[in-house]
Amino acid sequence: VSANGDRLERYAELAVRVGGNVQPGQEVFVYGLVEHADLVRALTRQAYRAGASYVNVEYDDQHIKRAMIEFGPDEALTYSPEWQKALTQGMSGNALLATTGNPEPELLADLDGDRVGRAIPLEVAELRRAQHRAQSVNWCGIGGPTAGWARQVLGEPDVERLWELVAFCFRLDEPDPVAAWREHLDRLDARSAALTERRPDALRYRGPGTDFTVGLLPSAHWGSARFRTAGGIDYVANMPTEEIFTTPDPRRAEGTLRSSMPLSLGGQLIRNLQLRFEGGRIVGVEAESGGDVVRSHLATIENADRLGELALVTKESRVGQTGTLFYSTLFDENATCHIAYGAGLPYAFEGEPDEAMNISNIHVDFMVGGPELEVDAVLADGTEVPLIRNEEWQLAT
Amino acid sequence: VDERLERYAELVVKVGANVQPGQEVFLFPSVEHKDLARALTRQSYRAGAAYVHILYNDAHVRRAMIELGPDEALTYSPEWQKSYVSSIAGNAMIATTGNPEPDLLADLDGERVGRAVPQEIVQIRIKQMGENTVNWTGVGAPSEGWATQVYGEPDVERLWEEVAFCMRLDEPDPPAAWREHLDRLAERSTQLNNLRADAVRYRGPGTDLTVGLLPKAFWMGGAGDTASGIRYVANMPTEEVFTSPDARRVEGTIRATQPFPLVGQVVRGLELTFEGGRAVKVEAETGADLVRSHFATLENADRLGELALVTKESRVGQTGTLFYDVLFDENATCHIAYGAGFPFVVDGDPGEGLNVAHTHVDFMVGGPELEVDLVLTDGTEVPLIRNEEWQLA
Repeated sequence: VSANGDRLERYAELAVRVGGNVQPGQEVFVYGLVEHADLVRALTRQAYRAGASYVNVEYDDQHIKRAMIEFGPDEALTYSPEWQKALTQGMSGNALLATTGNPEPELLADLDGDRVGRAIPLEVAELRRAQHRAQSVNWCGIGGPTAGWARQVLGEPDVERLWELVAFCFRLDEPDPVAAWREHLDRLDARSAALTERRPDALRYRGPGTDFTVGLLPSAHWGSARFRTAGGIDYVANMPTEEIFTTPDPRRAEGTLRSSMPLSLGGQLIRNLQLRFEGGRIVGVEAESGGDVVRSHLATIENADRLGELALVTKESRVGQTGTLFYSTLFDENATCHIAYGAGLPYAFEGEPDEAMNISNIHVDFMVGGPELEVDAVLADGTEVPLIRNEEWQLAT
Repeated sequence: VDERLERYAELVVKVGANVQPGQEVFLFPSVEHKDLARALTRQSYRAGAAYVHILYNDAHVRRAMIELGPDEALTYSPEWQKSYVSSIAGNAMIATTGNPEPDLLADLDGERVGRAVPQEIVQIRIKQMGENTVNWTGVGAPSEGWATQVYGEPDVERLWEEVAFCMRLDEPDPPAAWREHLDRLAERSTQLNNLRADAVRYRGPGTDLTVGLLPKAFWMGGAGDTASGIRYVANMPTEEVFTSPDARRVEGTIRATQPFPLVGQVVRGLELTFEGGRAVKVEAETGADLVRSHFATLENADRLGELALVTKESRVGQTGTLFYDVLFDENATCHIAYGAGFPFVVDGDPGEGLNVAHTHVDFMVGGPELEVDLVLTDGTEVPLIRNEEWQLA
């Protein structure tokens, strides 16, 4: 095994053991793009080494999706094949490892934005949502470096450099990465506990182009991506993860939000997204590019126009420290504060989610953080408590 | 857009699988075949497919299972994969071959490699084949690894040229050229069926084998039709006329004339001896363990399932290239398969003579020195092939 081969195996091992936390006897499901074959293979090896009873691999291919959107009939766009439903159902009680890092983020850019936005297998999305609600899967999403992704990020296909950045975000440079991850997650959980304890009624965001207030649900708490399945398996849903998050009250959102970073979405790049909210719903969408994809989501997918997530990230973030725009939600959402429209997060609740939590077949994160963003917690009595200034955490833990 | 790739995919979709408007299409490519898989998807939608399903296969994932997985994983059929295969009924299927790493499993335990067959899925496929509800085709997908195996260097362009030649893509009107070619093969099978022979006899260096024929089985060649009447060409290229023999009546010895890849290993110099229909001796320079493991663990793998006749007009044969891929090499020359027979070559109930097994492995036996005769019911021997030329008028 070469030095790089060793890095790949150590990366996969960390994803399997800390991220998915694959248990002996579990089946493992690996979702990757065809371009991620090297990583998918390493994940498969490490999953069997961790005692998986079987590793199910499903490769995704953006070009197949492109052909469907470009040449397929209308019904194909939202069709959920039986076998894909069976695949999703098979994950219940088992482990899932998914890779991201689109090698061709603008592959769908020249297609009809409305068709791109509608292309979601609805029944499969509904099954996944139910699975999230039941918390029956220990899963982890990680990055899969490719030449195409490297070109997007670095301007040249320098996969080695991208691997170095990804490995840094993954804490693979630490002498004991498993211990480093434990310490890191403890830090995030302490922040979550401190914020949950203050029982804020709302969050207020202020910055360039942003003046926004969003209500919180009393039963929702703040947490890190260290989750536990209903069966009691601890796992880390995203690696890297630098955020603490909650799911907001989707009925109470007012004002204007400006995205501070481009966003890769459905094969298009959304640049300079601006959303205007009234009574919890998005009533205005502006963007330099890709606005049609967002508008198609909001027009065709129920409750896509309401919010599902608020997440706070500070400058200690390893992703943020790289100063790199990764054009990948998994990484970029961990560089800075972000918000998501669409489905709420059942993970924010002990037991059953609040009935008000947003239900939708989509969940799209966009970044709002930056040096000039001020985030305050608004307490029940109207007091505003500073949470973030100059990308630094303000609340004592 | 790679124009040759698109024309190739179009020929496969229209002549091979003959995708009908409104049908769903199922693809089974290797991850290394993604360029072709994408072109097949585009051409399928252009032909009016309602939906194109794709299930990428990865030999490295399979290797990890055999090397590191538990015993039960070897024969396991996941529900979602059963669902995938079941859904093909009534629809179109396109499979791609051309192994990018034919020796990938060579250093693994041959016995585990041989046992690694998802049993329930194979059963579903066998049943589907019997019901003949799928218009399908298998085609080659050039890759660097396959080119290296064939030429000793990763000359994908040269492999593409040879594959395109075998596919008649150089003809001014490839679909018309295919129609003519398929009619020629159908004519040969008609000649054979009219003779109602009792057996086939093979003679050549290291070979003296007699194989009984089933009275209700017929020879086939060229295009086929699904139960509902959709015409398709199951293999492209195809140069053979073939049948399934009476698996109970096989006597003598047969020597393979070409190496062939088998689940990640290469079998060289295979020699099988049959008594009373069963292979009783397996010799080979390499890969003998794997064949023996098939015979030991897969029921009826040690009986024959197919006889196929190919002559020197074969475009594959004309290339003079050993492709290390059954789809191509079996169309270069005469071949035989151990394992499952084809229910679709039998009129009505196949009875006990048609072999039933969970595997079907073709190996080549043809060459300039092979003589093939038909043995009629009265014992008369009718020459079929001499010097790789067809002998029937």
